[in-house]
Amino acid sequence: MTALLATQPSIEPITLLTIQQLSIIPQEKVIISTLDLSLDEGDILGLVGASGCGKTTLLNAIAGFSEPSKGQIVIDGNLISDSEHSVPAEQRQVGMIFQDYALFPHLTVKENIAFGLGKLGKAEQLEQIDHLLTLLKLNDYRDSYIHQLSGGQQQRVAIARALAPKPKLLLLDEPFSNIDARLRNELMVEIRQLLKQFKMTAIFVTHNKDEVFTFADKMAVMAQGRLLQLDAPSIVCQQPNSYQVADFLQLGSWLPCQVNSASAQSLLGDFDIDNHRDKQTGLVYLLVKPSKLQLNVLVDEQHNIANAQVEHISVTEQGYHYYLSSLDDPAKDKSLAFSKLSLYSDVALSFKQQVVVSIKAHDFLFFNKVTNP
Amino acid sequence: MIALYNSKTWKLSSYLIALVLIVPVLVMLVGGVSASTQLFAHLWQTVLPSYIENTLLLAFWVVLLALFFGVFSAAIITQTNIVFKQQLRWLLLLPLAMPAYLVAYLYTDLFDYAGPVQRTLRATFGWQSPTDYWFFDIRTLPGAALMLALVLFPYIYMLTRGAFEQQDQNLIRASRLLGLTAKQSFFKVALPLARPAIAVSASLVLMETLADFATVQYFSVNTLTTAIYDTWLGYGDLGAANALASILMLLILFVVLAEQRSRAGLRHQSARPNLTRELIQLSFGQQLIASIFCWALVILGFLLPITLLIIMAVQYSDVAQLSVLFSTGLNSLKVSVFAATIAVVIALSLGLYQRLHKDKYRKIPQLISGFGYAVPGTVLAMAMLSTLGPLDHWINGLAEFLGFSAPGLILSGSLFAIVFALVVRFSAIANGTIASGIKQIPQSLDYAPATLGVNLIGSLTKVHLPILSPAILVAWLLVFVEAMKELPAVLLLRPFNFETLSSQIYQLISDEMLEQGALGAILIVLFGLLPIVLLNKSKEKV
Amino acid sequence: MLRKSFTTLFIALFCMAAFNTSASDEVNVYSYRQPFLVEPLFNQFTELTGIKVNVVFAKKGMTERLAREGKYSPADILLTTDISRLIELRDKDLVQAVNSSVLSNSIPKQYQAQDNTWFALTTRVRNIYSAKRLGKIDINYEDLANEKYKGRICTRSGKHPYNVALVASMISEHGETYTLGWLKKVKNNLARKPQGSDRGQVQAIHQKLCDISLGNSYYFGKMLKDKKQKIWADEVYINFPNQKNRGAHINISGVAMAKYAPNAKNAQALMEFLVSKPAQALYAQTNMEYPVRESVAVSKLVASWGNYKADSLPLEDIAKNRKAALKLLDQAQFDL
Repeated sequence: MTALLATQPSIEPITLLTIQQLSIIPQEKVIISTLDLSLDEGDILGLVGASGCGKTTLLNAIAGFSEPSKGQIVIDGNLISDSEHSVPAEQRQVGMIFQDYALFPHLTVKENIAFGLGKLGKAEQLEQIDHLLTLLKLNDYRDSYIHQLSGGQQQRVAIARALAPKPKLLLLDEPFSNIDARLRNELMVEIRQLLKQFKMTAIFVTHNKDEVFTFADKMAVMAQGRLLQLDAPSIVCQQPNSYQVADFLQLGSWLPCQVNSASAQSLLGDFDIDNHRDKQTGLVYLLVKPSKLQLNVLVDEQHNIANAQVEHISVTEQGYHYYLSSLDDPAKDKSLAFSKLSLYSDVALSFKQQVVVSIKAHDFLFFNKVTNP
Repeated sequence: MIALYNSKTWKLSSYLIALVLIVPVLVMLVGGVSASTQLFAHLWQTVLPSYIENTLLLAFWVVLLALFFGVFSAAIITQTNIVFKQQLRWLLLLPLAMPAYLVAYLYTDLFDYAGPVQRTLRATFGWQSPTDYWFFDIRTLPGAALMLALVLFPYIYMLTRGAFEQQDQNLIRASRLLGLTAKQSFFKVALPLARPAIAVSASLVLMETLADFATVQYFSVNTLTTAIYDTWLGYGDLGAANALASILMLLILFVVLAEQRSRAGLRHQSARPNLTRELIQLSFGQQLIASIFCWALVILGFLLPITLLIIMAVQYSDVAQLSVLFSTGLNSLKVSVFAATIAVVIALSLGLYQRLHKDKYRKIPQLISGFGYAVPGTVLAMAMLSTLGPLDHWINGLAEFLGFSAPGLILSGSLFAIVFALVVRFSAIANGTIASGIKQIPQSLDYAPATLGVNLIGSLTKVHLPILSPAILVAWLLVFVEAMKELPAVLLLRPFNFETLSSQIYQLISDEMLEQGALGAILIVLFGLLPIVLLNKSKEKV
Repeated sequence: MLRKSFTTLFIALFCMAAFNTSASDEVNVYSYRQPFLVEPLFNQFTELTGIKVNVVFAKKGMTERLAREGKYSPADILLTTDISRLIELRDKDLVQAVNSSVLSNSIPKQYQAQDNTWFALTTRVRNIYSAKRLGKIDINYEDLANEKYKGRICTRSGKHPYNVALVASMISEHGETYTLGWLKKVKNNLARKPQGSDRGQVQAIHQKLCDISLGNSYYFGKMLKDKKQKIWADEVYINFPNQKNRGAHINISGVAMAKYAPNAKNAQALMEFLVSKPAQALYAQTNMEYPVRESVAVSKLVASWGNYKADSLPLEDIAKNRKAALKLLDQAQFDL
């Protein structure tokens, strides 16, 4: 086991975790359904999804706390779980950082960190503990009890404790949700550097996409027990593969369009879609990022007929943020009506003010609302 | 909720323990079903209706009085501005240390015609005989109810006070902002929110009342317990006695289930219990009344009885008594230590089983192991003989068959029977305390050891048991004290040359000679104070 | 700190709780009698013979326990305070005959079983105590039903073996119908619900709650020797009822040998000791009971109460009517 743990520098990434056809169906209710996932050594994967989507269950399955109904999990070449047998959690060499940190209240910081080091000699233990205490700037607190520490300090202890036994894989369950928003970013950057320093492979679960963008090398989006998309965060952001992914990550607003082979029709006007790859026709939704919207305030009754009005105004550091909705026009197709179209602008508009909005030409992304790709 | 472990041995032993604990109850039920109906008919035509009426009346009055004492004192302590609150807060718990039969005896002595109170009254007013004036008769059903309520109300006080203190203060603040006065807020918000705690504690009081044997016996209030005794020992009909006992037990079980039903979905937890509380400001007169109410409970439930005991001990004690006290005290310690230790070990095993095992029905062992609490001691002793007797015969038969000499009544004729009875009876107390301790351990702590490569044994010894140690101590002490006080089971199951403090005191009381046992009685009370002091300390630390 | 001391205490207690080793020369007694009544006797026996006496004291449940224990019961000797218990033991086949000339010759015939299954040790009278303020009275048990005692009688529970035996003797004398009527009238005359002990009733007379009570003879002597209770006893006369007719109701305390007595020899030795002159004298002197052995004198105090006529009703008849008596007591709702 220990021989396997030593990582050799290599150019080709080594696959550390492979999950195939994993299903978890306790009491007839599908929690995870035929999920495939693989993760390279040293990568940090951010797993996002709405609460109840099965992301925590997936972590528990990897850690050994919930039994898969089907499928298999392989860590570092060792099969740890399939439909036949399952390696007990304590033998999987998987570390975990819990949402509430799960630090032992009856032990000191030092004793908490030493908890998983029982197999080492005393001297080795001390060395390892000292190393971690220094790394995580906890030297002053080595004999403190957990309740004497701040939230951020507790987080550090949890990380030190999880890293101490040198797990092959580290799981983090919403690790930053209890941290003050102002400190959160700083801490995330610091911990990411630390994990990288340890060349630790990690999966962390969150419902906050911004955490993934800061913390992860890869991003996985889950919904209803399925893995929707797994890619680098920038790719997921630029090219979401489904309506659900884009909608959950709030990558833009939705504009209903009637599409045929070459052009699309919307209440913001018609536009050509020569770059249309997906060959969708009929009623589809265009993902509109705020930067792709063009605002025209001067409404000229003759030439430029207003096509939207202001429904909500808020102020941000980048100027005004408006929600626009379509005008109530009985002559127009009702199915194309839009609302909550997000728009940033420095121009001050008033509530219910009518404006003209157009869409800049770009690589249009159309999605069907219901079906998955 | 995902349970972690799948140990077969653990599963088997858990179910086995639960089975062993429930067997006496089952034996009793089976015996009751097969009882002859002839004696039953006679009892039904003559005395049974009155016994049942007395039982229900007694239960009603005790619960009513205990609620009155307990809820109001809890409200006064947590919600108002009376003085000496910090002292009263724990003083109100002390009556719990007093066995009811002791209080009953002491008050009879005090308030009887020949007692100091009536003597003083007669001397003051020049009355000559009982016909000259009216004075309440304490040896009556209301008297018994009052005695029981005086020592049982702290259950209600303790749990209700806890509920008030745990309440989310923002709820009270919201109600004040909606236009209610502090007093109105108490009655419309705080009190209804405390209902689950009040219901739990009231059902505890009810169970203790129905199980009481010595107090009603001393006051000659004939209840169902009397009927059970009569049928068994007077008429020598164990079957009919089992049937009556089964009725009593079902009655208690019904109460327990009804109570659990009524508070299903009434869970109320607060994230902000520690905000400073706006107290109800009482006028001077109201403060006076509230203070008198609380102090009266403390004095009547504890200070006065213990003073009377001390006076008795000073007047009557001699060296000979001390040596008897030492041996009976040691016996009491012996059974209580055994019972408490076993009950706690069982509670831990079943509690952690429920928490950590994969078994779908993992709650069952703990649930059924608590049934014994609903069985009064007398009945339990009976069931114990019915269970262990045949077992002993079987063991002896087997030994003889195998060519060994018969070992004798190693189960029913030894300490084993008493300890077993006490464990069956008080497991529920240990279960409750340990279970609530376990509930306070965050679920993530169950998983954390495994993620650090530590197995079940390591997890139990390094995490769960150390964290549970305060709960273990409290559970142990609670069972220990209850075992010290327990009377009927000990009385009926004693082996040779074996007297405990409680059995000795009971015998002295029934000969109107408590004076001889005053020291022993004080000892029981002092032991009873231990968990109260400890509970109070651990509460304050949090 | 707390945890450590707790653990130490705990281990110490466990060590102390190690089981006792038992001596080989011993005899085991199940006793209905109070410890302080019989312990002096047992101590003397041990001194004399070196046989250790182990005792379980219980007022209730002894027969039932013995029956359940069956042939593995450790009990050798059963000491009871009531004839009905002895007969019950015999009827349930829990005792064995003891053929000992010492026993048969020391005890008058009416106070031992014909089949040698039980032997009386002492006799006691069910007396009627009366307040001195009433003056000397001559009273029968039947008189307790008299209207003139309305609200003036106190007694312990009707279900107590002493009272049950009295009721059983009433049934033997008058039949069930009369006895039920008598019980109902006595109940009507009670000053308060039946409660407490025989001594407690004397206390009640002292308290002027009532004037008449039922009680066993030896309690009177015992009370006169207790510094607190002497005040009560000084307020009452002890009366021997029915002296002009059948005589006062007699009950016995007695002894029997358990059917499966493992130490039968020692048991017989103890039984024989209990009827020996010194033991009988001890009964008489310390317990104020009437020794069953005719040649042993009663205590001075008891002698001062004078001679009395005892009911000649065979004791077995009392036992026979026991269940009927219990049922009548229920029917009369005597204790309610």
